[in-house]
Amino acid sequence: MHRNNCLNNKIISLSILAILTSLLTLTVAAAWEDQPKLGHSMTAVPKQVPAPEFTLEDMDEEQHSLKDLRGKVVLLNFWATWCPPCRREMPSMERLYQKLSGEDFTVIAVNQMEDGDHVFAYIGQLDVDPTFTILFDKDSKVSNSFRVNGLPTTYLIDKQGKIRYRAIGGREFDHPEVEKQIMQLMQE
Amino acid sequence: MKTIHIKLILLVAMAVFIRTPFAANITTQKNEASGLYSWVAESEGFSIELIQLLPDFVRAIYMAHDFPATEVDDIAGYCVFGTVIKNTSLDQLDYDVANWYYTDSAGKDHRIKTKSEWLQQWRKAGVTFSWTLLPDKGTFYEGDWQQGFTTIKLPRESKFNLTYKWSINGTEHTDIFEGLRCAPEQLSEQ
Repeated sequence: MHRNNCLNNKIISLSILAILTSLLTLTVAAAWEDQPKLGHSMTAVPKQVPAPEFTLEDMDEEQHSLKDLRGKVVLLNFWATWCPPCRREMPSMERLYQKLSGEDFTVIAVNQMEDGDHVFAYIGQLDVDPTFTILFDKDSKVSNSFRVNGLPTTYLIDKQGKIRYRAIGGREFDHPEVEKQIMQLMQE
Repeated sequence: MKTIHIKLILLVAMAVFIRTPFAANITTQKNEASGLYSWVAESEGFSIELIQLLPDFVRAIYMAHDFPATEVDDIAGYCVFGTVIKNTSLDQLDYDVANWYYTDSAGKDHRIKTKSEWLQQWRKAGVTFSWTLLPDKGTFYEGDWQQGFTTIKLPRESKFNLTYKWSINGTEHTDIFEGLRCAPEQLSEQ
Protein backbone atom coordinates (compact mmCIF):
# COMPACT_ATOMS: atom_id res chain seq x y z
CA MET A 1 0.00 0.00 0.00
CA HIS A 2 2.77 2.37 1.06
CA ARG A 3 4.75 1.36 -2.04
CA ASN A 4 1.73 2.16 -4.25
CA ASN A 5 1.33 5.57 -2.58
CA CYS A 6 5.02 6.31 -3.16
CA LEU A 7 4.69 5.30 -6.80
CA ASN A 8 1.59 7.48 -7.26
CA ASN A 9 3.33 10.44 -5.63
CA LYS A 10 6.31 9.92 -7.91
CA ILE A 11 4.07 9.81 -11.01
CA ILE A 12 2.24 12.97 -9.88
CA SER A 13 5.58 14.75 -9.21
CA LEU A 14 6.97 13.72 -12.60
CA SER A 15 3.76 14.86 -14.33
CA ILE A 16 3.90 18.25 -12.61
CA LEU A 17 7.58 18.54 -13.58
CA ALA A 18 6.77 17.66 -17.19
CA ILE A 19 3.96 20.26 -17.31
CA LEU A 20 6.24 22.91 -15.75
CA THR A 21 9.02 22.08 -18.22
CA SER A 22 6.60 22.33 -21.15
CA LEU A 23 5.26 25.66 -19.91
CA LEU A 24 8.76 27.07 -19.46
CA THR A 25 9.82 25.79 -22.88
CA LEU A 26 6.78 27.47 -24.39
CA THR A 27 7.68 30.70 -22.58
CA VAL A 28 11.23 30.51 -23.94
CA ALA A 29 9.82 29.86 -27.41
CA ALA A 30 7.45 32.81 -27.07
CA ALA A 31 10.33 35.10 -26.05
CA TRP A 32 12.38 33.96 -29.06
CA GLU A 33 9.46 34.37 -31.41
CA ASP A 34 8.39 37.79 -30.18
CA GLN A 35 10.93 39.49 -32.33
CA PRO A 36 11.41 42.83 -34.13
CA LYS A 37 8.69 44.70 -35.92
CA LEU A 38 8.35 43.66 -39.52
CA GLY A 39 9.82 46.07 -42.05
CA HIS A 40 7.79 47.50 -44.88
CA SER A 41 10.01 47.92 -47.90
CA MET A 42 12.07 45.82 -50.25
CA THR A 43 15.43 46.92 -51.63
CA ALA A 44 16.21 47.23 -55.32
CA VAL A 45 19.05 44.83 -56.10
CA PRO A 46 22.17 46.58 -57.45
CA LYS A 47 22.39 44.21 -60.42
CA GLN A 48 19.30 42.83 -62.13
CA VAL A 49 19.86 39.16 -62.92
CA PRO A 50 17.48 36.52 -64.30
CA ALA A 51 15.82 34.52 -61.53
CA PRO A 52 17.03 30.89 -61.55
CA GLU A 53 14.50 28.59 -63.22
CA PHE A 54 12.78 25.91 -61.16
CA THR A 55 9.93 23.43 -61.24
CA LEU A 56 8.43 22.34 -57.92
CA GLU A 57 5.32 20.53 -56.73
CA ASP A 58 2.46 22.05 -54.77
CA MET A 59 0.43 20.35 -52.04
CA ASP A 60 -1.57 18.41 -54.64
CA GLU A 61 1.65 17.22 -56.32
CA GLU A 62 1.01 19.43 -59.34
CA GLN A 63 4.13 20.88 -60.91
CA HIS A 64 4.70 24.63 -61.24
CA SER A 65 7.53 26.27 -63.19
CA LEU A 66 8.71 29.82 -62.75
CA LYS A 67 9.04 30.23 -66.52
CA ASP A 68 5.26 29.75 -66.85
CA LEU A 69 4.82 32.99 -64.92
CA ARG A 70 6.61 35.20 -67.47
CA GLY A 71 4.52 38.30 -68.01
CA LYS A 72 3.59 38.47 -64.33
CA VAL A 73 5.31 40.18 -61.44
CA VAL A 74 6.07 37.43 -58.90
CA LEU A 75 6.58 37.83 -55.17
CA LEU A 76 8.69 34.75 -54.39
CA ASN A 77 8.97 33.97 -50.70
CA PHE A 78 11.20 31.31 -49.08
CA TRP A 79 9.79 30.13 -45.75
CA ALA A 80 9.22 27.35 -43.23
CA THR A 81 6.58 26.74 -40.58
CA TRP A 82 9.12 26.73 -37.74
CA CYS A 83 10.50 30.16 -38.73
CA PRO A 84 8.87 32.84 -36.51
CA PRO A 85 9.14 35.83 -38.89
CA CYS A 86 7.90 33.64 -41.78
CA ARG A 87 4.75 32.93 -39.80
CA ARG A 88 4.34 36.57 -38.88
CA GLU A 89 4.58 37.88 -42.44
CA MET A 90 2.32 35.26 -44.04
CA PRO A 91 -1.03 37.01 -43.31
CA SER A 92 0.26 40.17 -45.00
CA MET A 93 1.24 38.12 -48.07
CA GLU A 94 -2.29 36.76 -48.25
CA ARG A 95 -3.79 40.27 -47.95
CA LEU A 96 -1.46 41.47 -50.71
CA TYR A 97 -2.39 38.51 -52.89
CA GLN A 98 -6.11 39.13 -52.34
CA LYS A 99 -5.66 42.75 -53.32
CA LEU A 100 -3.34 42.54 -56.35
CA SER A 101 -3.42 39.04 -57.79
CA GLY A 102 -4.57 38.69 -61.37
CA GLU A 103 -3.05 38.76 -64.81
CA ASP A 104 -0.09 40.88 -63.75
CA PHE A 105 0.83 39.66 -60.27
CA THR A 106 1.07 36.53 -58.19
CA VAL A 107 2.59 35.25 -54.94
CA ILE A 108 4.54 32.01 -54.61
CA ALA A 109 5.68 30.71 -51.22
CA VAL A 110 8.44 28.10 -51.42
CA ASN A 111 8.52 25.96 -48.29
CA GLN A 112 11.87 24.61 -47.14
CA MET A 113 12.34 20.93 -46.32
CA GLU A 114 8.91 20.19 -44.90
CA ASP A 115 6.20 17.88 -46.15
CA GLY A 116 2.68 18.60 -47.31
CA ASP A 117 1.01 17.09 -44.24
CA HIS A 118 3.04 19.25 -41.90
CA VAL A 119 2.34 22.44 -43.85
CA PHE A 120 -1.33 21.52 -44.21
CA ALA A 121 -1.60 21.14 -40.42
CA TYR A 122 0.11 24.50 -39.95
CA ILE A 123 -2.20 26.25 -42.41
CA GLY A 124 -5.16 24.87 -40.50
CA GLN A 125 -4.05 26.90 -37.47
CA LEU A 126 -4.04 30.23 -39.33
CA ASP A 127 -6.87 32.74 -39.02
CA VAL A 128 -6.89 33.18 -42.80
CA ASP A 129 -6.01 30.34 -45.16
CA PRO A 130 -3.34 31.29 -47.68
CA THR A 131 -4.85 31.08 -51.16
CA PHE A 132 -1.58 31.76 -52.99
CA THR A 133 0.50 28.86 -54.31
CA ILE A 134 2.72 27.02 -51.84
CA LEU A 135 5.50 24.91 -53.36
CA PHE A 136 7.82 22.39 -51.72
CA ASP A 137 11.59 22.67 -52.00
CA LYS A 138 12.28 19.46 -50.13
CA ASP A 139 16.07 19.48 -50.50
CA SER A 140 16.55 23.29 -50.55
CA LYS A 141 18.04 23.10 -54.05
CA VAL A 142 15.91 25.99 -55.26
CA SER A 143 16.71 28.19 -52.27
CA ASN A 144 20.40 27.39 -52.83
CA SER A 145 20.11 28.44 -56.47
CA PHE A 146 18.71 31.78 -55.26
CA ARG A 147 21.55 31.97 -52.68
CA VAL A 148 19.11 32.18 -49.79
CA ASN A 149 21.09 32.12 -46.55
CA GLY A 150 18.32 32.55 -44.04
CA LEU A 151 14.55 32.51 -43.75
CA PRO A 152 12.47 34.34 -44.64
CA THR A 153 13.96 35.77 -47.82
CA THR A 154 11.72 37.25 -50.49
CA TYR A 155 12.33 38.33 -54.07
CA LEU A 156 10.28 40.46 -56.38
CA ILE A 157 10.66 39.24 -59.94
CA ASP A 158 9.62 41.39 -62.88
CA LYS A 159 7.58 40.38 -65.93
CA GLN A 160 10.77 39.46 -67.83
CA GLY A 161 11.85 37.08 -65.06
CA LYS A 162 14.55 39.32 -63.58
CA ILE A 163 15.11 39.75 -59.84
CA ARG A 164 14.43 43.42 -59.08
CA TYR A 165 13.94 43.63 -55.30
CA ARG A 166 14.98 41.58 -52.28
CA ALA A 167 14.05 41.45 -48.60
CA ILE A 168 15.87 39.47 -45.92
CA GLY A 169 13.80 39.11 -42.75
CA GLY A 170 10.08 39.53 -42.25
CA ARG A 171 8.05 42.25 -43.93
CA GLU A 172 4.52 43.59 -43.92
CA PHE A 173 3.94 42.92 -47.60
CA ASP A 174 0.65 44.77 -47.84
CA HIS A 175 2.28 48.00 -46.68
CA PRO A 176 1.77 50.86 -49.20
CA GLU A 177 5.55 51.06 -49.81
CA VAL A 178 5.76 47.44 -50.98
CA GLU A 179 2.52 47.78 -52.93
CA LYS A 180 3.95 50.82 -54.70
CA GLN A 181 7.07 48.88 -55.69
CA ILE A 182 4.93 46.04 -57.05
CA MET A 183 2.58 48.39 -58.91
CA GLN A 184 5.54 50.09 -60.58
CA LEU A 185 6.80 46.73 -61.84
CA MET A 186 3.30 45.78 -62.97
CA GLN A 187 3.09 48.96 -65.05
CA GLU A 188 6.42 48.39 -66.82
CA MET B 1 61.48 69.35 -28.68
CA LYS B 2 58.49 69.77 -26.38
CA THR B 3 56.22 70.23 -29.43
CA ILE B 4 57.50 66.99 -30.97
CA HIS B 5 56.73 65.14 -27.73
CA ILE B 6 53.20 66.50 -27.63
CA LYS B 7 52.68 65.56 -31.28
CA LEU B 8 53.99 62.05 -30.62
CA ILE B 9 51.69 61.62 -27.61
CA LEU B 10 48.74 62.85 -29.69
CA LEU B 11 49.59 60.44 -32.52
CA VAL B 12 49.86 57.47 -30.12
CA ALA B 13 46.58 58.48 -28.45
CA MET B 14 44.86 58.73 -31.83
CA ALA B 15 46.21 55.34 -32.89
CA VAL B 16 44.88 53.72 -29.69
CA PHE B 17 41.58 55.57 -30.10
CA ILE B 18 41.14 54.32 -33.67
CA ARG B 19 42.24 50.72 -33.10
CA THR B 20 40.36 50.04 -29.87
CA PRO B 21 36.79 48.79 -30.37
CA PHE B 22 34.16 50.56 -28.30
CA ALA B 23 31.72 48.94 -25.96
CA ALA B 24 28.37 49.05 -27.70
CA ASN B 25 25.29 50.75 -26.28
CA ILE B 26 23.62 47.81 -24.54
CA THR B 27 20.16 47.32 -23.07
CA THR B 28 19.33 44.30 -20.94
CA GLN B 29 15.92 42.74 -20.56
CA LYS B 30 14.74 40.02 -18.24
CA ASN B 31 11.78 37.97 -19.36
CA GLU B 32 9.72 37.91 -16.16
CA ALA B 33 7.82 34.80 -17.25
CA SER B 34 10.86 32.67 -18.07
CA GLY B 35 13.55 34.39 -15.99
CA LEU B 36 15.86 34.40 -19.01
CA TYR B 37 17.83 37.41 -20.19
CA SER B 38 18.24 39.09 -23.53
CA TRP B 39 20.56 41.89 -24.55
CA VAL B 40 20.48 44.34 -27.43
CA ALA B 41 23.59 46.18 -28.60
CA GLU B 42 23.05 49.18 -30.83
CA SER B 43 26.03 50.23 -32.90
CA GLU B 44 26.52 52.45 -35.90
CA GLY B 45 24.16 51.04 -38.53
CA PHE B 46 24.04 47.63 -36.88
CA SER B 47 21.98 46.12 -34.11
CA ILE B 48 22.47 42.71 -32.54
CA GLU B 49 20.26 41.00 -29.99
CA LEU B 50 21.22 37.88 -28.07
CA ILE B 51 18.51 35.89 -26.29
CA GLN B 52 19.32 33.18 -23.75
CA LEU B 53 17.90 29.80 -24.70
CA LEU B 54 17.53 26.84 -22.38
CA PRO B 55 19.31 23.61 -23.39
CA ASP B 56 15.94 21.79 -23.32
CA PHE B 57 14.53 24.26 -25.83
CA VAL B 58 17.52 23.68 -28.12
CA ARG B 59 17.11 19.91 -27.76
CA ALA B 60 13.42 20.19 -28.61
CA ILE B 61 14.16 22.18 -31.77
CA TYR B 62 16.68 19.70 -33.17
CA MET B 63 14.78 16.61 -32.06
CA ALA B 64 11.78 17.97 -33.96
CA HIS B 65 13.95 18.00 -37.09
CA ASP B 66 14.97 14.34 -36.56
CA PHE B 67 18.62 15.02 -35.73
CA PRO B 68 20.58 12.04 -34.35
CA ALA B 69 20.72 12.04 -30.54
CA THR B 70 24.50 12.62 -30.52
CA GLU B 71 24.11 15.78 -32.64
CA VAL B 72 21.23 17.00 -30.47
CA ASP B 73 23.32 16.52 -27.33
CA ASP B 74 26.32 18.16 -28.97
CA ILE B 75 24.61 21.41 -29.88
CA ALA B 76 22.59 21.47 -26.64
CA GLY B 77 25.93 21.24 -24.84
CA TYR B 78 26.83 24.63 -26.24
CA CYS B 79 25.58 27.86 -24.83
CA VAL B 80 23.04 28.73 -27.54
CA PHE B 81 21.59 32.18 -28.08
CA GLY B 82 18.76 33.26 -30.29
CA THR B 83 20.38 36.01 -32.33
CA VAL B 84 18.74 38.83 -34.24
CA ILE B 85 20.89 41.11 -36.38
CA LYS B 86 19.61 44.15 -38.22
CA ASN B 87 20.88 46.67 -40.69
CA THR B 88 19.79 49.95 -39.10
CA SER B 89 21.57 52.03 -41.72
CA LEU B 90 20.29 53.09 -45.13
CA ASP B 91 23.31 51.58 -46.83
CA GLN B 92 24.79 48.19 -47.64
CA LEU B 93 25.97 46.26 -44.60
CA ASP B 94 28.21 43.20 -44.68
CA TYR B 95 29.12 40.85 -41.83
CA ASP B 96 31.10 37.66 -41.44
CA VAL B 97 30.76 35.63 -38.23
CA ALA B 98 34.20 34.09 -38.89
CA ASN B 99 35.65 37.49 -37.86
CA TRP B 100 33.78 37.58 -34.56
CA TYR B 101 35.10 36.15 -31.31
CA TYR B 102 34.16 35.90 -27.66
CA THR B 103 36.29 36.51 -24.61
CA ASP B 104 35.73 34.39 -21.51
CA SER B 105 35.98 35.61 -17.91
CA ALA B 106 39.67 34.58 -17.80
CA GLY B 107 40.35 36.92 -20.74
CA LYS B 108 40.87 34.15 -23.30
CA ASP B 109 39.55 34.73 -26.83
CA HIS B 110 37.65 32.01 -28.71
CA ARG B 111 36.37 31.95 -32.27
CA ILE B 112 32.70 31.16 -32.89
CA LYS B 113 31.79 27.86 -34.54
CA THR B 114 30.15 29.03 -37.76
CA LYS B 115 27.06 27.70 -39.49
CA SER B 116 29.26 26.26 -42.28
CA GLU B 117 31.24 24.30 -39.71
CA TRP B 118 28.06 22.97 -38.10
CA LEU B 119 26.66 21.99 -41.52
CA GLN B 120 29.86 20.15 -42.37
CA GLN B 121 29.57 18.19 -39.12
CA TRP B 122 25.86 17.50 -39.64
CA ARG B 123 26.31 16.32 -43.22
CA LYS B 124 28.77 13.69 -41.97
CA ALA B 125 26.06 12.55 -39.55
CA GLY B 126 23.56 12.29 -42.43
CA VAL B 127 21.67 15.49 -41.61
CA THR B 128 20.60 17.61 -44.57
CA PHE B 129 18.61 20.21 -42.64
CA SER B 130 20.53 23.45 -43.04
CA TRP B 131 18.50 26.18 -41.37
CA THR B 132 18.09 27.51 -37.75
CA LEU B 133 21.66 28.82 -37.33
CA LEU B 134 22.67 32.42 -37.98
CA PRO B 135 24.17 32.52 -41.50
CA ASP B 136 27.97 32.95 -41.52
CA LYS B 137 27.98 35.86 -43.87
CA GLY B 138 25.46 38.32 -45.15
CA THR B 139 24.94 41.38 -47.25
CA PHE B 140 22.05 43.40 -45.94
CA TYR B 141 20.34 46.31 -47.63
CA GLU B 142 18.11 48.87 -45.91
CA GLY B 143 15.57 47.17 -43.66
CA ASP B 144 17.12 43.70 -43.87
CA TRP B 145 17.41 41.60 -40.74
CA GLN B 146 18.04 38.00 -39.88
CA GLN B 147 17.64 35.67 -36.98
CA GLY B 148 19.25 32.36 -36.09
CA PHE B 149 21.14 30.57 -33.35
CA THR B 150 24.67 31.45 -32.27
CA THR B 151 26.67 28.80 -30.41
CA ILE B 152 29.21 29.60 -27.71
CA LYS B 153 31.37 26.84 -26.26
CA LEU B 154 31.32 27.81 -22.60
CA PRO B 155 29.86 26.20 -19.46
CA ARG B 156 26.35 27.12 -18.33
CA GLU B 157 25.97 30.58 -16.76
CA SER B 158 29.46 31.64 -17.92
CA LYS B 159 30.01 35.35 -18.42
CA PHE B 160 31.68 36.57 -21.59
CA ASN B 161 32.05 39.47 -24.00
CA LEU B 162 31.43 39.24 -27.74
CA THR B 163 33.53 41.20 -30.21
CA TYR B 164 31.67 41.60 -33.48
CA LYS B 165 32.51 43.28 -36.76
CA TRP B 166 30.56 44.58 -39.70
CA SER B 167 31.07 47.02 -42.53
CA ILE B 168 28.87 49.68 -44.04
CA ASN B 169 29.62 50.57 -47.63
CA GLY B 170 33.02 48.97 -47.13
CA THR B 171 33.92 50.88 -43.96
CA GLU B 172 34.72 48.40 -41.19
CA HIS B 173 33.36 48.71 -37.67
CA THR B 174 34.08 46.75 -34.49
CA ASP B 175 32.24 46.78 -31.18
CA ILE B 176 32.25 44.80 -27.96
CA PHE B 177 29.06 43.32 -26.56
CA GLU B 178 29.87 43.26 -22.84
CA GLY B 179 28.23 41.46 -19.94
CA LEU B 180 26.71 38.48 -21.72
CA ARG B 181 25.90 35.32 -19.80
CA CYS B 182 25.02 31.78 -20.84
CA ALA B 183 21.63 30.41 -19.81
CA PRO B 184 21.47 28.01 -16.86
CA GLU B 185 20.91 24.28 -17.38
CA GLN B 186 17.39 24.75 -16.05
CA LEU B 187 15.43 27.57 -14.57
CA SER B 188 15.43 27.83 -10.79
CA GLU B 189 11.64 27.29 -10.68
CA GLN B 190 12.26 23.79 -12.00
